[in-house]
Amino acid sequence: MSQVKSVMAETGQSPSRKNRGKLQISKSQIVFEKAGIYIIALALIIVGSLVSPQFLTIDNMLSVLRSISLLGMVVAGAAFVTYIGEYADLSIPAIIPLSGIVAVFALPLGVVPAVLLGMLAGMMIGVMNGLVIGYLRANPILWTLAVVFFMEGLMRFMMSNNQIYPDVSPGTSGADFIDLYRSEILGIPTIVVVMLVLLAISHWILRRTKFGQQAKLLGSAYEVAKTSGINVKRTVMIAFVLTALSSSVAGILITSFNKTGVYYLGQGYDFQAVTAIVLGGMTLSGGRGSIVGVLGGVLVIGLLSNLMTFMGVHPFQQKVVIGTIFILVVGLNQYQLRKMGKDHG
Amino acid sequence: MNKNTSSPVLHMHQVSKRYPGMLAVDTVSVDFYAGEVHALLGENGAGKSTLMKMIAGSFDDYTGEIKVNSQLCQLHSPSVAKDNGIGMIYQELSLARPLSIAENILIGRLPTKFGFVVDTEKVIEETKICLQRVGLELDPFALVDTLSPHESQLVEIAKVLGNHPKIIVMDEPTSSLSRSEVVRLFDIIKLLKEQGLAIIYISHHLPEIFKIADKVTVMRDGKKISTKGIGEVTPKSLVQEMVGQSIEDFYQQRSHQIGETRIVVKNLSRFGFFDNINFSAARGEVVGIAGLAGAGRSELARALCGIDPFDQGSMTLDNNHYAPKSMANAIKSGVAYLSEDRKREGLFLRLDIKQNVLATLIDKHSKGLVYTPKEGRDVPGELIKTLEIMPADELIDVSNLSGGNQQKVLLAKWLAIKPKVLILDEPTRGVDVGAKNIIHETIMRLAKETGATILLISSDLPELVGLADRCIVLREGRMIGEMQKSELSEEAVLLRANGEAA
Repeated sequence: MSQVKSVMAETGQSPSRKNRGKLQISKSQIVFEKAGIYIIALALIIVGSLVSPQFLTIDNMLSVLRSISLLGMVVAGAAFVTYIGEYADLSIPAIIPLSGIVAVFALPLGVVPAVLLGMLAGMMIGVMNGLVIGYLRANPILWTLAVVFFMEGLMRFMMSNNQIYPDVSPGTSGADFIDLYRSEILGIPTIVVVMLVLLAISHWILRRTKFGQQAKLLGSAYEVAKTSGINVKRTVMIAFVLTALSSSVAGILITSFNKTGVYYLGQGYDFQAVTAIVLGGMTLSGGRGSIVGVLGGVLVIGLLSNLMTFMGVHPFQQKVVIGTIFILVVGLNQYQLRKMGKDHG
Repeated sequence: MNKNTSSPVLHMHQVSKRYPGMLAVDTVSVDFYAGEVHALLGENGAGKSTLMKMIAGSFDDYTGEIKVNSQLCQLHSPSVAKDNGIGMIYQELSLARPLSIAENILIGRLPTKFGFVVDTEKVIEETKICLQRVGLELDPFALVDTLSPHESQLVEIAKVLGNHPKIIVMDEPTSSLSRSEVVRLFDIIKLLKEQGLAIIYISHHLPEIFKIADKVTVMRDGKKISTKGIGEVTPKSLVQEMVGQSIEDFYQQRSHQIGETRIVVKNLSRFGFFDNINFSAARGEVVGIAGLAGAGRSELARALCGIDPFDQGSMTLDNNHYAPKSMANAIKSGVAYLSEDRKREGLFLRLDIKQNVLATLIDKHSKGLVYTPKEGRDVPGELIKTLEIMPADELIDVSNLSGGNQQKVLLAKWLAIKPKVLILDEPTRGVDVGAKNIIHETIMRLAKETGATILLISSDLPELVGLADRCIVLREGRMIGEMQKSELSEEAVLLRANGEAA
């Protein structure tokens, strides 16, 4: 009874007709889509503070933020690929080490040129993805998967299967380079600031730019966008370049953290990124969701891992939990869309 | 006719079906008898297709009662309808093209050995029996892709016959067939009739009905107007019942201001699609592009606006060279194309009216990289008003609108760019009479007031004849003639499109 009352209050109309019921569901779904992920985050924080008094401390929350910042940087760009309806960029695990390795090689030129060159190298993979997927219409999953395979081989071959270490003796650009990850800006870890800046830029791109609007239309219906005069090829290209750029930034910082450039540093970021993006309400069929939601998705993954560590869950088991969440979220997502009859993607 | 004394095989009593905002079928009662071809006539949007979908079990929320063989049944799902002996042959073929004939016909009931191995011999045998009933001798393993439209249509019928139906519904079965193919189809219908099947035949092609039907039911605006024996009606009386007013004032008469030449198309060819097309159109002129489905009309339109490429020829627009490489180019030049496929190429169904209407204006409403939709904030509201889109709420998702209103949004999207040339591909297919009138009025007003050139592709002959100032006729990708206003009549266009001299 109380349910019926609240429903009536929401719509201001009696729920007697069948259609009304449908509208209410979609309304509450919209509310959940927007705030749901943060409600989950809040719930995790509450559970965490019950599990351990050390959970809800500034130190621990900062460590959660630090732990998600690299993933947050990656999704700042990767979200666009999902948003335009191309599912996911699985070449992220190639972009991350490539940018790092190039940056380390370029360190004799100074830190700033090294970082820029590293980003340029990563971006080249984005350009290649954009050409092949946007212009030649290759399947994004298969193509980006192939890129990882190819790039891993190339990096190992070129470096004779060795790792590359920057010269970190004090006063060298190498020392500055490994400081990138460890430094702080006004007491906040630089990586957290970088993540927030990248996400803010992404939010602005998605909401306020011509590309953002075109991406939304493209994600909603590719053919319709094409016949509405949107340069769909270029839009796909931009999305993959943005992914590559943000992943390169993450890649350089991961390399800075590891003090090593090596081909495997990006492993797992592809899958975690997709989980965070979909968890954050950006549907795999494209055109829906927001960067704020995606940040929520990243936050939930970070909080969950942290909480499980507090509870003494083994890292392998943590992987099983995160994987299970991914399966559930993607499954639910598809089911909902099909039920709403709106999945024309 | 001889079985009229017995009870009807399908009895519908006061059935209604409501779509959001529209009563598509309004308390209709009609009986269908075995061994009879019963034609169902009506304009687009009269409710024929909805009534047929009801019989096919597409709705679980119709009201009224339906009896099959005097048994009351709830046709709430397609499988229930199938179990009650109802077979549907749709206008758009439902065959899986990359599969073989046998796989299509025996879909869902492939004979097997030991429960899992496909029994090839039996497959061949059963497929051949099915094909024989429609007079086809084809290799059961030939792919549907390799068949002609006519053969595919017959395979479709064979597929439905495979379920041993007692009632067969045919929705515009001749729309993609040539004349000789139609004759063969009619022979098969007569054969089925002799076998004691009840056939419900939907068409708006009058001559066909006089050839094949025993009874005619006319629908208009969701209501049944009459059911009569074929001997009691004339083409004129039927048209009057369908239209509800005399045909002359159905399309407003207008004197048209035709201005300077706007678009000139010279020797335009796209190999395999259309060949050596030449025509020009003036400001304020409505030029019809007539032809059967597959004559290359849509392909020509898509090349005119850069969606598809062309191989040879040239175009000018307002005396400037015009060679669009993409729809974006075309929009910049002021050329709009309203696609015939609203769902696939027309609307963003998941987005609201506002975003759909503004989709073609993103370039215009951007300063550098930044999108500034505020400039266009009044555009959707104005177009909603002009086109009387219901509900008049720009934030409602397009998927929640009725077909007619969706079509209006699609038109609004192209009106928003203030086109110089507006190419309309089946602008009123499947919309109700009210929406159709508004769309027609809007198009004519656009031509008159802004001097836009309209290129109109339509299979709806009254529409084509009523709106166009002149018509070019395509057949098999070639332009086979041009007809001036004075020569335009439905019969003449149809004859020309079929490749026969008027």
